[in-house]
Amino acid sequence: MRKGMKVWAAAALILMLAGMPAVFTQGQQAADDSYEIVTVVKITGIPWFNRLEEGVDAAAKELGINAYQIGPADADPAQQVKMVEDLISKKVDAITITPNDATALEPVFRKAREEGILIITHESPDQMGKDVDIELIDNVAFAQRSWDMLVEGMGTSGQYAIFVGGLTVPLHNLWADEGIKYAQEKYPDLELVTSRIPCGEDQELSKQKTLELLKTYPDLKGIVGFGSLGPPGAAQALKEKGLAGKVAVVGTVIPGHAAPYLKEGSMTKGILWDPKDAGYAMNWVAKYMLDGGDFRSLKEIPGVGPVSVEGDIIKVDAMVDITKENVDSFGF
Amino acid sequence: MKKLMARHETYVLTIIVIFSIVISIINPNFLTLENTFDLLKSYAFTGILAIGVLLVLISGGIDISFAAVATIAEYLTVSVCIAMGGSMVSAFLLAIAVGVLLGSVNGLLIHRFSIPPIITTIATMNLYYGLLIVITKGKWIYALPDFFRSFADVRVITLQTANGIPYGLSVITVIWIILMVITALMLKYTRLGRSIYAVGGDRISANRVGLNVAGIQVFVYGFMGAMAAVAGIVQALLVQTVAPNSIVGKELNVIAAVVLGGASLAGGIGTVFGTFLGVMLLAIVQNGMTLMKVSAVWYDVFVGLVIIISVGFSSWKQKTGGRRVKIDVREDLPELAAAYGGSGTDTERENH
Repeated sequence: MRKGMKVWAAAALILMLAGMPAVFTQGQQAADDSYEIVTVVKITGIPWFNRLEEGVDAAAKELGINAYQIGPADADPAQQVKMVEDLISKKVDAITITPNDATALEPVFRKAREEGILIITHESPDQMGKDVDIELIDNVAFAQRSWDMLVEGMGTSGQYAIFVGGLTVPLHNLWADEGIKYAQEKYPDLELVTSRIPCGEDQELSKQKTLELLKTYPDLKGIVGFGSLGPPGAAQALKEKGLAGKVAVVGTVIPGHAAPYLKEGSMTKGILWDPKDAGYAMNWVAKYMLDGGDFRSLKEIPGVGPVSVEGDIIKVDAMVDITKENVDSFGF
Repeated sequence: MKKLMARHETYVLTIIVIFSIVISIINPNFLTLENTFDLLKSYAFTGILAIGVLLVLISGGIDISFAAVATIAEYLTVSVCIAMGGSMVSAFLLAIAVGVLLGSVNGLLIHRFSIPPIITTIATMNLYYGLLIVITKGKWIYALPDFFRSFADVRVITLQTANGIPYGLSVITVIWIILMVITALMLKYTRLGRSIYAVGGDRISANRVGLNVAGIQVFVYGFMGAMAAVAGIVQALLVQTVAPNSIVGKELNVIAAVVLGGASLAGGIGTVFGTFLGVMLLAIVQNGMTLMKVSAVWYDVFVGLVIIISVGFSSWKQKTGGRRVKIDVREDLPELAAAYGGSGTDTERENH
């Protein structure tokens, strides 16, 4: 009797394990004749890429494609390579991807294209091995706009500091480089008090660093923060010290997060592009190209905006200012 | 004096004093009450986690999963408070219940299956954190209940700067101090506290003198869970945002602070006061670099150097000086000593 029970238990376990993969796969069971377009993001489970997924889902619904999003649990290039390899064996029609590491992905991109799979990248303009890259902002214009915003808040002269997410995050440091260069030409009276501080991905640390900056440079008049947690941390510190509105705070923020600080006046303005647009645009372009369209003759992505094509990069100007007036209209 | 020289805390304190003097010379704003209060508030989060880690280290274990436990307690509590309302008291109680539960699971697994604590807690860290991400999909919570906002601004002592801006001793710092005092008293004066040292010093002897090693292990990891939960709520109070990924990744910083404060990774050694000094030393080094106008690229280099110098100096001193930590069963655990006749049951160990 007991032995019989054990056999049954084992059989049940095996059945359960066999059923498991189906539980974890998401949304791949669509009609066979529609294009299968997979978006691979840098990391899953953070607000930015959750918002991007909304764009992917919107494209799937509106364009009649089988589009869905996957990504590693942490920002690991090796896992992205593995995912692309799996998608090649699965023979999908197109892969749209925000690479964690441009170089690491180059070989699998070539392999995918040999198999006839379309590769569309995002946030990786210098990527090798792709078919086409889509950028939602012009990085130089983005940096310059950030500094213009800073000047709107603090005036054309005075001391300011820069926060970045990390000293090796490519985009943040590119923006900082471009912004400093721009400031030297256009706003020569701005004085950067110290080298960029790597705290922008940690709100508590940004708050602490702002408190320290205020004690070290009492005349500080502005902070530019890249990495979505820098400006809120700075705003919190200013509020605590009764300096809300007296020191300008601008930078990249998630609207839903920045709303209270913008409304109470401790944050001046935010700047961003909507990742949902990126998710939608990548899938729209993928379908357009799979249908035989040529991206060089592309003039507009419906619902996202007019585009300009430079080489194999499609640029859309989707940069938006986030102010206390419009902050509630973004929906993320 | 000789006894004082042999104590690890003395060295950490000396280094803190030297650092403070150097920073103050460069920037007089360092040694102000305002900066001290700001630091004590900002580092309450690390400090509370450090209390839990201290107990785990003393018992001869280690815990990597506390950041995940803190995040879950924080996320769940804030979600419940938003959905059903409540107060700060109910928030802390709910969080602690969750923390104790998750922490005790660690303790039970470690004891029941004799898996090394580091493996167990790496596994539970992944399990806890993974489940949190699956269930919440990484969604952040921005709109905290009003009582979270108002409680965070409560000050026990309020002073004013020259410009009329209020500052003072935050209630968050007071929570940290109370937890430290309770833990210190427990470690020093209760049977349970002395038993933790005994288990960490020599588990087999502790078992032989009749200590409930299983119970003590579960208690220690449950206590770690409780501290993690309180720290999670403190984090929510400090940043007014709950993000599933904001605490995970800070484990090593906390463990470093505890070891800096004199606790041994081999177990049996450590004090609450030392841990406090370890946390403050890290705080002062990180705070001081901005105040001394050091460029940000040098931050990590300095933190590394300070850890090596202070731990290295103290270990070297102890190695040359020699020091024993002794748990005297007759003195610390009298009822046990009576039961066993009090002979041949001392647990003691060399400190290297």
